[in-house]
Formats: sequence, C-alpha cells, structure tokens
Amino acid sequence: MPTNRPPALVAEVSDAVGAPHVLHAPEDLLAYEYDATIDRAAPDVVVFPNTAEEVSAVVAIAARHGLPVVPRGSGTGLAGGALAVRGGVLVVLTRMNRILEIDARNRTAVVEPGVINLQLQEAAGRHGLIYAPDPSSQRVCTLGGNVANNSGGPHTLAHGSTVSHVLGVEVVLPDGRITWLGGRLLDTPGPDLRGLFVGSEGTLGIATKICVRLIPKPEAVRTMLAIFESVEAASEAVSAIIRRGVIPVALEMLDREIIRIVEPRIQAGYPLDAGAVLLIEVEGVAEGVAVEGEAVVDACRRHGAREVRVATEQAERERLWEARKAGIGAIGAASPAFYLLDGVVPRTKLPAVMRDVLALSERYGFRCANIFHAGDGNLHPNIMFDPDVPGATDRVLELGGEIMRVCVKAGGSITGEHGVGYEKRSYMEWIFGPADLAAMDRVRVAFGGADRFNPCKVLPTGHGCATGHASDIQRALATPGVYV
Amino acid sequence: MTVTSPLDAVRHALPSDTEREPHDYAIDGLLPRVAFSPDDRREVAELLRTAARHDLVVVPQGGRTALALGRPVDRYDVALDTRGLRRLVEYVPDDLTITAEAGISLRHLQDALGEHGQYLPVDPPPDDRVTLGGLLATARPGAWRGFTPGVRDLILGMTVALPDGLLARSGGRVVKNVSGYDLHRLHTGALGAFGVIVEASLKLAPLPVATRSLALRCGDLARAVRVGLALRDAPLSLRGLAVIAPRASAHASLPHEPHALVDLAGVEEAVVRSAREVDEVARRHGATPAEVGERPWQRLRALAGDESATVVRLGVPATATLEVVEEVRAVGCLAWAYPASGIVMGHADAGLQAGAVSALRDRARALGGYLQVEAASPELRRRVDPFDVDEREAVERLKAQFDPGHVINRGRWMEGL
Ligand SMILES: Cc1cc2nc3c(=O)[nH]c(=O)nc-3n(C[C@H](O)[C@H](O)[C@H](O)COP(=O)(O)OP(=O)(O)OC[C@H]3O[C@@H](n4cnc5c(N)ncnc54)[C@H](O)[C@@H]3O)c2cc1C
Repeated sequence: MPTNRPPALVAEVSDAVGAPHVLHAPEDLLAYEYDATIDRAAPDVVVFPNTAEEVSAVVAIAARHGLPVVPRGSGTGLAGGALAVRGGVLVVLTRMNRILEIDARNRTAVVEPGVINLQLQEAAGRHGLIYAPDPSSQRVCTLGGNVANNSGGPHTLAHGSTVSHVLGVEVVLPDGRITWLGGRLLDTPGPDLRGLFVGSEGTLGIATKICVRLIPKPEAVRTMLAIFESVEAASEAVSAIIRRGVIPVALEMLDREIIRIVEPRIQAGYPLDAGAVLLIEVEGVAEGVAVEGEAVVDACRRHGAREVRVATEQAERERLWEARKAGIGAIGAASPAFYLLDGVVPRTKLPAVMRDVLALSERYGFRCANIFHAGDGNLHPNIMFDPDVPGATDRVLELGGEIMRVCVKAGGSITGEHGVGYEKRSYMEWIFGPADLAAMDRVRVAFGGADRFNPCKVLPTGHGCATGHASDIQRALATPGVYV
Repeated sequence: MTVTSPLDAVRHALPSDTEREPHDYAIDGLLPRVAFSPDDRREVAELLRTAARHDLVVVPQGGRTALALGRPVDRYDVALDTRGLRRLVEYVPDDLTITAEAGISLRHLQDALGEHGQYLPVDPPPDDRVTLGGLLATARPGAWRGFTPGVRDLILGMTVALPDGLLARSGGRVVKNVSGYDLHRLHTGALGAFGVIVEASLKLAPLPVATRSLALRCGDLARAVRVGLALRDAPLSLRGLAVIAPRASAHASLPHEPHALVDLAGVEEAVVRSAREVDEVARRHGATPAEVGERPWQRLRALAGDESATVVRLGVPATATLEVVEEVRAVGCLAWAYPASGIVMGHADAGLQAGAVSALRDRARALGGYLQVEAASPELRRRVDPFDVDEREAVERLKAQFDPGHVINRGRWMEGL
C-alpha cells in the first residue's frame, strides 16, 4: 500500500474522470504492478480517462502534486516501459478505443490510443487497405503502445516500423497542454517532432489521437518456407537473398528448438529434424512476385536449403504463418519461465552472431529458442529456465547481458523493437557516450517531462531510480511465473 | 593580455587552411564576415562553440542549392561550408547500409552505390551539387514519395555538432533500432536549427532492374486527376506519379495539355505488365499514353528546385488535388501534383504576392494541410512565414535546449528563432 499518496489525489482524479474509472485499493493496484517483463512496481492510483481533455486534467493534477505520470496501454511491453517505478499516477488508455475515421480515398485513419492493433488492421482490410506494422502481440497491444515503442513486426522489413506509418499524433504534454505533432499528411513542414515522439516510450507525453497512413493491399503474395540443416546456413541464405537485390516483405527465422516446441501444437508442417527454417514472403505485382519468388528459392537452394515450399493460396500461407505467430506463446507453455531478448546486428553478421548466441546458451546450460526477424538482423533469443532452481535467474540475466554485448560488438544495437524502457536503461551506455545521452536528455527537458514523466525509462540516469540493472530485476524474479 | 576580436577567436579555433573567401558565400545579397570549410567534424563543433561564446551567427551550407528556403537570416557572420566533410565512412553493400559525412555530394554517393547496383532511393534533386547533409536538413519530398520512403525514414543514425561543442550521435548503423530518442528525426528537415549534421547512416535499396516513364495526355485537368488517382490505385510497380497542368506540361517537354506522368520501376516482368496496365487505365479514361523517358521528370525537378522563382509546396488530401491545382494555377503558377503524397507544387517565374501565398495557405490549412514556401525573394520570405509550423512552442523549447544563443541560422526558421 503506497504510504505517501497525497490524501486529495483520489478525489481529484475521480472528479476528472469519474469515480468508477479510478482504482486505488491495494488489491486493485496489484494488477497494474507489471507489464510483460519481469519487474514490478505499484502505482499510487490508476485512472482510465475517456478523452484527451480528461487525460490533460489528470496530467495537470499529477503535475500539481509533483507526482510521476506513467502512460499504459495493454501492458504487453517487454522492457518494463509501463511500470510505475516511482509510483504516481498510472494513466491507462484502454477506454479510449474508438476508430474515429477511416478515409479510404486518402488512405488515412484516425484512431484513439487504446485501439488494438488488430482491430485497425481489420477495419482497414474492409477497405482493401493495410495498416502495415504487425507486432506479434497485435491481438492485444494498443496503437498508443505501438507509437510509444515504435513497434515493429515481420513486415517491418519492407514497410518500416510504426514511425513510417504515423502521420500525426495528438499529445498531452507533461504540463497538461494538448498539441498535435505532425498532421494528416506525409512530411509536414518543420523539424520532425512527430518522428521524435514516436518511440519516446511515454516519456515526452501521452498520445491521445493517432493519424496513420494505410497502404493498398498487394495484388499478389507468395510465402515460402525454406528448410535448412543449420542456423548458420539459414543465416547465410538471408544475406544471399538481399544480395540478389530482393527485399522480401518478411524474412523470419525459426531454429530447431522453437520448431520442436511449436510444431507439435500447431501442425503447420514444419519438419522436426530441420536445423532452422526461413519463412519468406514477397508481394507486389503478380509478375514481379513470380520472378522475385524464384530468386528467393534459388538463393536458398544455393545456400544449402534441402527443400523450399511455396504457398500462394491464402489458406496455405496462413498455415505457414501460424507457427510463427504462435511461437512465443508456445515457449511459455514449454518452460516454467523464459527471458525474451531483443537485439539487432548488421544482417551480414548474423551467421557469426547466431553461432555465438547458441554457444553462449550452451555454455550457460540453458535451452535457447530463436524465432526472429532475420531480414532486419533483429534477434529474439528466448532463454528458457526454471526460476525455482537456485541461481538460475542470475545466470539467465548474465547470459542476456552477454548476448546483448555480442550484438553491440558486432556493430548492432540493444533493442530493435521492444524499447529500452526500464530494463535496458543501463545498456544505453554500451552504445552511446555521455555527449549522446546528454543531447537526448535535452529533449526530455524541452518537452517538460524531465524526471516526472515516465521516470527511470530510456535514459540511464534519473533521480530516485535504481542504478543497477541486474539488482533491479533480481528482486522481481523472486516470483515464479512466465517472464516473457 | 590581448583582447581578441570575435572573428579572430574563430580563426584561432580552426586550422588556417580551412579559411575561405567570404565573397564565395553570398546569401540574399549578404556576405559573411568570415568563411570556413573544415574537414574534421571536431573543427565544426569547435567553430560552433567559439561562435556561441562570441555571439556570432553561423550559416551552415553544403551545395548551396536551398538558400532561398526559410526566412532570410537576421545576421550572417560565419559561413560554414560542410563540403570538407566528405569521407565515405563505411559502406557494406551486403547490409544495404552506408555511413558518410555530410558534405559528400549526393551524386558522388549515388555513383559509389551504383557500382554495387544500389542507391539511396530518393528523388534525384535537380542539382548535382546537393550534399547529403543538405538533403537531410531540407528533407523535401518529390514525386517518389509514397512509393519510396521519405528521407527521414532512410536515416538509421546521425552525428550532429552542437553549439556547445558537443558531437552527439543518435541511432546506429543497423536497419532497425529503437534505442534512445531518435534525435536524427529532430534534425531532419530542421535546416540546422538544432545543430549541424556531420555524418549520417542510411538505408539503401537495390537499383531497379528496369524503369520506364509514361505520360498520359488527358484533354482536361479533371480527367488527368482522375487518371492520376486511378493509377495510384492500380496494381502497378510504381516509383513516381505526377499530375501536370497544361502550362507546366509544356515546361516539362510535354504537349501543352494536362498529363498524368508515371515512373515504373522494378523487375523487368513487373514493369512490362505495369506498362500494359497503364495503357488499360488510359483506355478506360480516354487518355493517350506515350513513352517519354526521364526528361519530363528532370524538368519538373528543375522547376521545383528553381531558386530564382517563387516556388510553393502545398500538402492537401489527395481527393482535393483538382481544386487545389486549379487555385494554384489561378494565381499565375505553373502547377503540378504528386497524388501519392498529397503534394501540389506551384512555380511562378514572376513571383507571387504575399496575399496570394497566404490565401493558398489558408486554403490548404482548411483542408487539413499546409503550405511551405520552397523558394522566394527575401522580401516575400520576410512577409510570409515560409514554414508556418503549428508546433512553435515545442520548437522554441527545443531551440532553447540545443541552441540557446541562436547561433545557427538565426531567424531562418521563424521570426526570433
Ligand atoms: C507475446 C508478445 C509478442 C510481442 N511481439 C512484438 C513484436 O513482434 N514487435 C514489437 O515491436 N513488439 C512486440 N511485443 C512488445 C509489445 O507488445 C509492444 O511493445 C507493444 O507496442 C506494446 O503495446 P501496449 O499497448 O501493450 O503498451 P504498454 O506495454 O502498455 O506500454 C508500452 C510503452 O508505451 C507507453 N505508452 C502506452 N500507451 C501510451 C500512450 N497512449 N501515449 C504514450 N505512451 C504510451 C508506456 O508508458 C510504455 O512505455 C510483444 C509482446 C509480447 C508479450
């Protein structure tokens, strides 16, 4: 039970959004102590505003009390971004879940931040259009969360992450003012504040409306499953495909470990004895798809694919994708807990880096299942462990850190799509120097968020934030469960 | 103890062989008091720091092809020529990424990439002198936008020199990355308001195997717009699309009639099929297609980049293309549009009245869009805010953080900034 909650706080926020939309009893706050990561922290109060004006009122109340504000969507974030690390007001946007407008002729949509990614996809689909960013969590995650994390997905390879699809955002700033960044069109004049806001992980303001661009459905799509003896051979094929001048719309890898976990549950026809498979998709004008598809098949064959299956029918394609989409969930059922990592390397470094990742996991004695965006060089090793085994969690964290270092050494980054959040703050110093971080901090100051708006996120410094990454996390890992 | 003048302080801060003749750096009829072309990024940072300490205004410039963009600067003390920074830092063709210094010319860069069958997929600017830094700092879209990513979406990382002497990096060299604030987005299209770009990493694309340009003669403008939108919606391997009013068509080496112009790019088979599809759209709408080559595109780009005329770019919903093109024509402009990105361009040799520009801007704004003055006389650029951004307060607060002394391009962004 938070002890330092100002007595008037609950009454004031209840006035702003209505008492039924405020949680403050300790047992109610419990459900909002965590997101999809491993740490926990309780807010002082949870509010569910219904309009930008209500968000603004709540933010202003928090400002008056000097309390932290933490925005939250569905809580599927994998970096602890939505944790109320220093308590304060958790602003949950899930009631603001209306699709306000779809303008099919101009290919735009305006949505509230609580709209679920898949709902927008489906609504756009009814107009023959696509909202391209497709995180694997799309059945549950919100567009507000997608914007805050600049989320990616399998189709990011060709279409770009969320930032390439957001035209404008209505934002409630840390002082409560409401403003638009960007607009309803591509490339509005001026410094790209919209682009700066997307990916700022809730530290610069709260998105209350989002205008996105929709793109036309392609005429033809071809999905291929290329089967390899080893991760290394599959990794070589990734480079070979790109070298051919073909950029598939998706290029995903699943290794033996994940195939053995997911195939028995899904029966998508993935061979259990494969070392790795690549799931590859090309799309566009039918004649182009045919040519590019053949180039992909040829590149895979030349790099040791023992078989390449080609699916053009919708049902066949969906079956192949099923295994990819169900992958992470299946790991959850196969292991008492797992730690999902997110790192990026230049794609030419994939073979060497994957070798290191597998060798490290083996050295640490953990099963590691890989299911990831190979075309982007965006790794997702999933380290499976049993938190009840003494010392296991320490070693998992250590291994996670080592894998991140491998990515950094290869010229990569500590996160490709899940964000820095709380969890990876201290890793920021591995890739950025003091001058870089100081410049980033200025953005935070300029927006007025400083230390109060989603504190202890993104940047490695901050008043009242714990400093050591491992020690922060260990505390939470005392609880068994599925840690994604 | 000797008291050094501000200009001497700057001279002392840089190697003497980086100093240049001021008369080569005139802008809007003004000459700088000193000019430098450093070849090391630390010199750029040092120059800014020294200028900040002595309240000198620095105007960074690369190929000098977009100097009529923005308000005339309040003062012009130091010309900073970025073309000394021209190293190609890292190019890994198999990663489709490149890192280069800001002063490298786009032409040079594209040539180096072309040897590996790759390119930076941005509309070629009208002028070979455009530098990478200038391209990013202006970030002006053209006919390809909507089919290819915008410049801002191609930037993977950036290093920027700040007025307090810091060299700050954001992003990285990998094609997907969400670590930290994307400061490179802030600097893109900012005309140096928050720092001077010294290096950038970019995402590349394979050069298309086949390209083909077709112009569809349309009789009247309404039909040209209908054809343009039909082409946008057809299954085509498109890279560029324009709708052109009659007088602009004539300037683009086409018959004096409204046209829709398409640029097809991709694998041979896709381009061949697309060309058939274009013929089909033409037939359905009673338009006449013809193979035209690169020339009309080059002419349109030249008009868009013409610094001696008044050039405006409006952004409006694609469905408003027809009415807005008519309005842009009505004030005496050559007019054309890029329906895939909602852009309408106007070019007036004889200039435009401030009132006419404001009226067009009001119109665009009423449609949820904008008007940017791309080039105009200094007088017009003083009377009409070239950018008219809504986010003035946020921009001011960022400026206060990054360039509190208003050292870089003082007054160019907006009055007092
Ligand atoms: C099984 C699984 C698979 C996943 N797959 C992917 C994937 O393929 N690609 C990918 O990129 N991510 C993936 N994720 C991560 C996660 O789903 C995304 O980061 C998602 O965008 C988070 O959305 P959310 O609504 O759950 O946000 P939350 O977790 O609630 O919040 C995430 C961050 O956004 C901020 N935030 C939320 N709403 C707003 C708002 N309106 N304004 C400002 N800030 C806000 C929060 O403060 C926090 O920092 C996956 C997660 C899981 C559990």
